[in-house]
Amino acid sequence: MRYNRDRPGAHMVLGMPIHAIGYHPACWLVDGVPPDGAMSLRHAVQCAQVAERGKLDFVFLADTGAVRNHGNPAIPREREHEHVKIEPLSLLAALATATSDIGLVATVSTTYIEPYPLARALASLDHISGGRAGWNLVTGFSPEEAQNYGSDTMAPSPERHARAREFVQVLRGLLASWDQDALVRDKESGVMFDRAGMHRLEHEGAFFKVRGPLDVAPPPQSRMPIVTAGYSEEANEFTAEVADMVYAAAPTVEVARTYYADLKDRMPRHGRHPDALKVLPGIMPFIGRTMMEAEDKFARLQSMIDPAVGLGMLALWNFPDLRGYDLDGPVPEVEVKAGRYAALSAGLLERVRREKPTIRQLYEMVAAGFWQFGCVGTPKTIADAMEEWFTTGAADGFNIQTPYLPGCAEDFVDLVVPELQRRGLFRTEYDRSNLQDRLAPRLPAFA
Amino acid sequence: MSGRKTGQDGMMRLGLSLGSVGYHYAAWRHPEVPADGDMDFRHVARCAQVAEAGKLDFVFLADVAAVRNLDDPRVARHREQGHVKLEPLTLVAALAAVTQRIGLVPTASTSFNHPFALARRLASIDHLSEGRAGWNLVTSTSPDEARNHSQDGAQDSEARHARAREFLSVVHGLFDGWEPGAFVRDRASGVYMDPAKMHRLHHAGPHFKVRGPSDVDRPPQGRLPIVSAGTSDNAQELAAEIADMVYGGQPSIEGARAYYASVKARLPRYGRAPDSLRMMPGIMPVIGRTQAEAEDLFASLQDRLHPEVAHGMLAINHFPDLRGHDLDAAMPDLVMERGHETAGREPELTLALMERARREKLTLRQVFDAVSRGFWHFGIVGTPATIADAMEEWFTTAAADGFIVQPPLLPRGAEDFVHLVVPELQRRGLFRREYEGATLRENLGLPQAAWARTPARV
Repeated sequence: MRYNRDRPGAHMVLGMPIHAIGYHPACWLVDGVPPDGAMSLRHAVQCAQVAERGKLDFVFLADTGAVRNHGNPAIPREREHEHVKIEPLSLLAALATATSDIGLVATVSTTYIEPYPLARALASLDHISGGRAGWNLVTGFSPEEAQNYGSDTMAPSPERHARAREFVQVLRGLLASWDQDALVRDKESGVMFDRAGMHRLEHEGAFFKVRGPLDVAPPPQSRMPIVTAGYSEEANEFTAEVADMVYAAAPTVEVARTYYADLKDRMPRHGRHPDALKVLPGIMPFIGRTMMEAEDKFARLQSMIDPAVGLGMLALWNFPDLRGYDLDGPVPEVEVKAGRYAALSAGLLERVRREKPTIRQLYEMVAAGFWQFGCVGTPKTIADAMEEWFTTGAADGFNIQTPYLPGCAEDFVDLVVPELQRRGLFRTEYDRSNLQDRLAPRLPAFA
Repeated sequence: MSGRKTGQDGMMRLGLSLGSVGYHYAAWRHPEVPADGDMDFRHVARCAQVAEAGKLDFVFLADVAAVRNLDDPRVARHREQGHVKLEPLTLVAALAAVTQRIGLVPTASTSFNHPFALARRLASIDHLSEGRAGWNLVTSTSPDEARNHSQDGAQDSEARHARAREFLSVVHGLFDGWEPGAFVRDRASGVYMDPAKMHRLHHAGPHFKVRGPSDVDRPPQGRLPIVSAGTSDNAQELAAEIADMVYGGQPSIEGARAYYASVKARLPRYGRAPDSLRMMPGIMPVIGRTQAEAEDLFASLQDRLHPEVAHGMLAINHFPDLRGHDLDAAMPDLVMERGHETAGREPELTLALMERARREKLTLRQVFDAVSRGFWHFGIVGTPATIADAMEEWFTTAAADGFIVQPPLLPRGAEDFVHLVVPELQRRGLFRREYEGATLRENLGLPQAAWARTPARV
């Protein structure tokens, strides 16, 4: 079934991950990219301000509490740039002071902390930013992260999602501790708050026991937007139940449509209007003013990939160690190991068998975006693609995965956004400062 | 003992505690105070910027992760301030972006956090502020707080302090997970980092098992200055072992000297020199250009103290229930009541005030007044000269190495302190005129923290 939005004139939702200095493995080698940008507030402020200049809905900070993928000799970690970062809640609090309208979405896992401290941090971020906080809820996918928090391995997905479900229930309950008008602060009578407007939670569940109330005033957003991701049955059901946005990953419009339809179909079962969930696939655009410029930029960037890093990327996607083979020779007949992202790896192997790339072409294929939608084009062709996804039941908007920062954010904002605006697909001004209201005007429950 | 200190640089260190909208219980009702300042980032930022203009060492954010004392009918919580606030770690991350020189000291508990999660937040704040973060390390005694974190009550002192020790060693081990120079980021060779300078922690102790390394680079300061507090033997021992500053709460100079001596005497056991730890009592100065002006300010606050709030103040300090007693009649003989859940209130202080009330035949209103002026901490109503006199006396007679200023109302209490008292301290050569360094450690005069390979705990 193809779901059509109730409001055909609606704008796309556009978010931009500030993924340190970019998604492309060679980003740190590009002129104009600060190689130490992952630890730089100045760099993050610059990126957020560019996104805000483009009227984007939000910036997004991914997170895994671990330094990953060490110990595999096929992955040359010393030549890769992703190791350290500024913790997202802290960074977004600082960004809140340097921006005025753009949403600020922090990734935080429900698996390793208690809901009370997160409720107070998110509510505080929402106050400091004037109603711009969002939460990308993850349940963790990295064993390295589990080992930093006392476990040898990750809990299985059903258990992680059961905990996440209770976590959300507690967090939303805590954010509703105080009625919006409970803190009267009447100097004259000396009444600070109305006792009837303060609610303890008294939650006792399988995972948490939380009394409440929250020691933070009701946040400006009555319902803090929640982002989720994932493809498992548990993840999809959880998304339909609790999420306001889902960060999707689909390499083609067909894959995206199937995922989109599946999620929207699940919504009514949870009493929710399908439009209450925004499906936002990742898109990695390589942008040029002309097709030739785009191709040139793209080719230059691809040629900068360190072959050792390229082979390491293949190892990460479950390919065997291909060191020692001729980079410009064919990919040998291999099996991919079962592992993380097994389905994506299997799809990649399918493509190898079909397209018969060289090893170099294969890792370039991965670097160009294969689990998300990678595209090389002009503002017009990229807007065409986005419009097609947006109008044919594949996306309600996108997460713009910039190959490198801040340059590609500037390209998107200065070149693609105006094209989307001309087509009436994207806002030209911020109308409300509240992230929740901007994402979705209040929708009725869906029987 | 008197005269300039040896060993330290002769200057006191000063922090400003940004507690709610002020330390006087009626601060929020004062016409100059924004009643919603507790939740208003612009208000907090303004206070921090005032402190920075005064060259203060740091702003300090107290914290208890709970709305407390909701169940005691004697405590009129709906008439009190300080229920809601901005969570300190999030708040100081934002303050880092709107200040340049001043230190930022959030409170974070070792009882309910996990060291990996807290280490990355503290390291991040140190990066965001370019080396201005500190950490007020607390172990949590509040049952209200425990009940918000899936526990039924606070742990006993031994357990809390054992956990705190291990917690801190994990945090430090994570800070040192990246040896300086680990990130070479050399475009020519394509080498981004030196794996020989990445160190896993592999910690496995009674409370925590943490592999590491941290996913945040080593903080610019290497070690964040640690503040601790508490008068129990366990708390003093932990302070002597790990703290760079101790936040004290003594209302009298005699009490402060005894506490000062008691903590400092423990330092040699940890191989530390007496001047390696700064004792920083809290001081609540009510400031006027003249004594009359200061008394007027205090009266203008005290006039706004609702009697129900004042009775709540007595309740949490273990006074018996005096509701219904005539405010202007002499007090009956009092017997201390225990059992109230607010921890950290010294029974000796209550007994001393009861004794004084009996001796001086104080009325209930006068007892309210005495508690408001500075009961568990050092309160003084005075002029810049008399306040500086008192601070100098404490500083030069082994009662204090500096102070954490607890403004009775904000932002005025911070502004008056910076504009009136700081210049007086500077004239006396007791306080800096310009920041000495770029980081909090440098301004506190702490030695540079050398990187050290933390041995695995197995």
